[in-house]
Amino acid sequence: MEERIRTLIEEATQAILSASNTAELESVEVRYLGRKGQVTELLRALPTLPPEERPRFGQLLNSVKAQLQTQVDQRRAELQRKEREERLRAERVDITLPPRPLRLGLKHPLTQTMERVRAALIGLGFEFVDSPELDDYRYNFAALNYPDDHPAMDEQMSFYISDTRLLRTQTTSVQGRIMEKRKPPFRIAVIGRCFRNETVDATHHHTFHQVDAFMVDRGISMADLKGVLAAFARQMFGEDVQVRFRPDFFPFVEPGVDYAIYWQGGWLELGGAGLIHPNILRAHGIDPEQWTGFAFGLGIERIPMIQYQIDDLRLFLENDLRFLQKYGA
Amino acid sequence: MRVPIEWLREYVDVTASPEDLAYRLTMAGLEVEAVEHEEGEPVLNVKVTPNRGDCLSMVGVAREVAAIYNLPLRHPMPSARTAEPGEAAQVAKVEILDEDLCPRYAARVVRNVRIAPSPDWMQRRLLAAGMRPINNVVDVTNYVMLEMGQPLHAFDLDLLPNGHIVVRRAKPGEKITTLDGIERDLQPDMLMICDATHPVAVAGVMGGSETEVTPGTRNVLLESAHFNPTSIRRTSQRLQLSTEASYRFERVVDPSGVVAALDRACELLSQIGAGEPLSGVVDVYPRPASERIVTLRPERCNLLLGLNLDVPTMVDCLRRLQLKAELHDGVIHVTVPTFRPDLNIEEDLAEEVGRVYGYENIPERLPFGHTHRGGDSPNTRLIRPLQEAFVRAGLIEVHTHTLRAPGPLDDPNRTPVRVRNAASEELSTLRNSLIPSLVDVVVHNLARRQTEIFLFEVGAVFAQLPNGEYEEMLKAGFALTGSVFPPGWDARYPAADFFSAKGVVQTLLEAVGVAEAEYQLLTDPRFHPGRSARVLVGGREVGIFGELHPDVLEQLDIMRRTVLAGEFDVHTLWSLATRRVRYVPLPKYPAVLRDLSLITPEDVPYQTVERTVKQAGGTLLESVKLFDVYRGERIPEGTRSLALSLTFRSPERTLTDEEVDAVVAHIVRALEEIGARLRA
Repeated sequence: MEERIRTLIEEATQAILSASNTAELESVEVRYLGRKGQVTELLRALPTLPPEERPRFGQLLNSVKAQLQTQVDQRRAELQRKEREERLRAERVDITLPPRPLRLGLKHPLTQTMERVRAALIGLGFEFVDSPELDDYRYNFAALNYPDDHPAMDEQMSFYISDTRLLRTQTTSVQGRIMEKRKPPFRIAVIGRCFRNETVDATHHHTFHQVDAFMVDRGISMADLKGVLAAFARQMFGEDVQVRFRPDFFPFVEPGVDYAIYWQGGWLELGGAGLIHPNILRAHGIDPEQWTGFAFGLGIERIPMIQYQIDDLRLFLENDLRFLQKYGA
Repeated sequence: MRVPIEWLREYVDVTASPEDLAYRLTMAGLEVEAVEHEEGEPVLNVKVTPNRGDCLSMVGVAREVAAIYNLPLRHPMPSARTAEPGEAAQVAKVEILDEDLCPRYAARVVRNVRIAPSPDWMQRRLLAAGMRPINNVVDVTNYVMLEMGQPLHAFDLDLLPNGHIVVRRAKPGEKITTLDGIERDLQPDMLMICDATHPVAVAGVMGGSETEVTPGTRNVLLESAHFNPTSIRRTSQRLQLSTEASYRFERVVDPSGVVAALDRACELLSQIGAGEPLSGVVDVYPRPASERIVTLRPERCNLLLGLNLDVPTMVDCLRRLQLKAELHDGVIHVTVPTFRPDLNIEEDLAEEVGRVYGYENIPERLPFGHTHRGGDSPNTRLIRPLQEAFVRAGLIEVHTHTLRAPGPLDDPNRTPVRVRNAASEELSTLRNSLIPSLVDVVVHNLARRQTEIFLFEVGAVFAQLPNGEYEEMLKAGFALTGSVFPPGWDARYPAADFFSAKGVVQTLLEAVGVAEAEYQLLTDPRFHPGRSARVLVGGREVGIFGELHPDVLEQLDIMRRTVLAGEFDVHTLWSLATRRVRYVPLPKYPAVLRDLSLITPEDVPYQTVERTVKQAGGTLLESVKLFDVYRGERIPEGTRSLALSLTFRSPERTLTDEEVDAVVAHIVRALEEIGARLRA
């Protein structure tokens, strides 16, 4: 009996150690420790032994069983670790393959710019209002101090719908609408689409976007205009940007200026500005002796064109996805 | 306008470099767009604003240069100044019938003209200034125009019967052949220079070929006049004829300079031996323009500019511009010469002081006083959440044209607004729907081999209403084609279909806070009749969407693709929003899940099934989810199988199986009433 047990231990230990995977180990375990396994069978054979030998062999077999079980468990842990490692090795992918793409939406670069413009002007206390794209001739020109047939209107030949209605050529058309309804002080801004009956090329388009901001208060001067424009420009283009004024002419401002920023080594013109013409204030019952104001306008397209060095205005309304996806920040 | 610096120096001794000159002129309001070189000589290309017609001449630019650099100005003073009619009156006669359109008309006569090329120096200057030399007489008129800003015209005097000039409006049916050889039909409002019977020149625009100066010309009548700018502008526009002369007359020519220019021309003509001017001038000037006085209060000037200048500085700035400025009783009185019609009010003078003093010297200051609360516009507050919802749904924003040609994808229920003066069909109407332009973008990108096109736009569309009024509405639209997920290297996903579009719609509705929407089949020729929907909220239509009709796709040459599009009315959508975000405690008790597998007739819409389940489920039914739809051999024809997953939960206790079973039984009974039964 002892001989048999020793042989069994040797055989079993050998079998456990030589099991090369968990499945093999499983059958080894069954063969020796299972319900019909060899150790179990010996245990079952105990009653056939003489009574005085039973306890000794009983103890011996039980410790053999525990010993083998420990060996099996150790071996299993070892094999499992090895097998997992193998699996992980086999699961290795070519991490340099391209990603599985996600469907990502994004806003148009003009929308992104308009949001930044809004944030900057709201921070300066401007309240944005809405104004129609299909506007009255009166608000677009007459209320802005354009005399009939003034050559300045050459620059903005309009799309007319009727004698009195046209597509606004400038967001400045909101001024009259506001002054009809409100009394100063106010700070108002409007942003949106404008139209001019022009030939389309890389720098001109019949459709474009503008922001117009104006304020009326006591004692507003060119210095305030310069200060507000500088603060606005700093927020749009960075802290160290400088603003420059030079005289220009727009019927709705006097004095009128064109303003530029210093950008990457040169002066870039951004838009027109000036003190609101006293005729406009007076026409809306605002006493220009008590109140003065300024207005400034800016083409929205101009901003990303400067920032991303885009040289063709037409790209914005062409909506080539390859273009739009470039500005998806 | 091209300004050769060499020519400019005739009137002002400026020694600055062309670059400095360009910079300082620009900073003072005369924008120099470029410094060019004509045979080595620098030429400034000056862009003159429409209010500064006085700067459309060498003298005018020189006046600005003199002011900027604080230098004296040398005006070309013709030696022989005329004021008397003299001999000229015996040869020429001028009659103005339309004083409102022609306040002044003057003429001088030159005899024994010998037509020849003008001298080299004159030709060089004309070329440098951008004009082509023609002959000595015409060149002199152009030279004086460039120098002094006053356009002149030379008639062959012998072709004017009795030297008689009549300035009048055109008569109906009159025609003239202009110097460019084109016969032009005249309209009754156009101002004409005529002989006794018919037009010989379009006033201020172009002469007629009949009285043109030719190599055979012996005697010349020189015209110098002042015309109404608006009249010239209209005539020039209607004839589609813009000339150096009309360009200047539109921007106001100095009425006081009319005769001086004639004298200058005569001086030059005799100087270069082109002819012999007769003494005297015929000058018809019934109501001479007078100089205006405009006042400037120094404190107002400083208030407007945001500066703190003293009175002598202000007076100096104004005088440097050749304005007479004097202080009386603390107010600066400025005598405005007739060459500056743009100076009318105090603000105009403040601007002059500011620009001579230098805008670069104005400080930056932030306005103080009233505080203001800024904010987004009402429409922006509606648009932004929609844009963000579309972006979350994976769509890319586009901005498309408002102006477009009418097309088959326009909204059939809205009359398009027509543009009256459209140059082309492409710009002839205002969009009445976003769908056509969105589909255009799809087509554009497909043509560029982009296959995954998921787009949206929020913008204004227009319609003409039956009462003749126009309507401008905000719409939110989208268009999609491509696979549900972007294709990669290892997987192919199904193409986006009606239900993908419905997913976008759902995201949009949720963003607005619409709790429940109803979908009805849409009848619209643009869409697939069985795969498109009207979306109703509270019984009102908020939008439409669906697959585009295959006929439409065929017209667009889009083959073998499903394209989906939709459009929602922004204001209606928001007006029906009901959801208010409120905190609801997280559930404390476990949920009980039950699946139901139903067989329903095909013609019972899912919407009805879901509504029935919800109604019968009562408060314990937390949610209903459809997880499978099956048609096929295993169930009878004309039916479909719907697999629903129901979640039951009570906020107060753990539900028992018996409780849930009772509710499910109730639901099943309700479902049987609409023709559904449990699948065995």
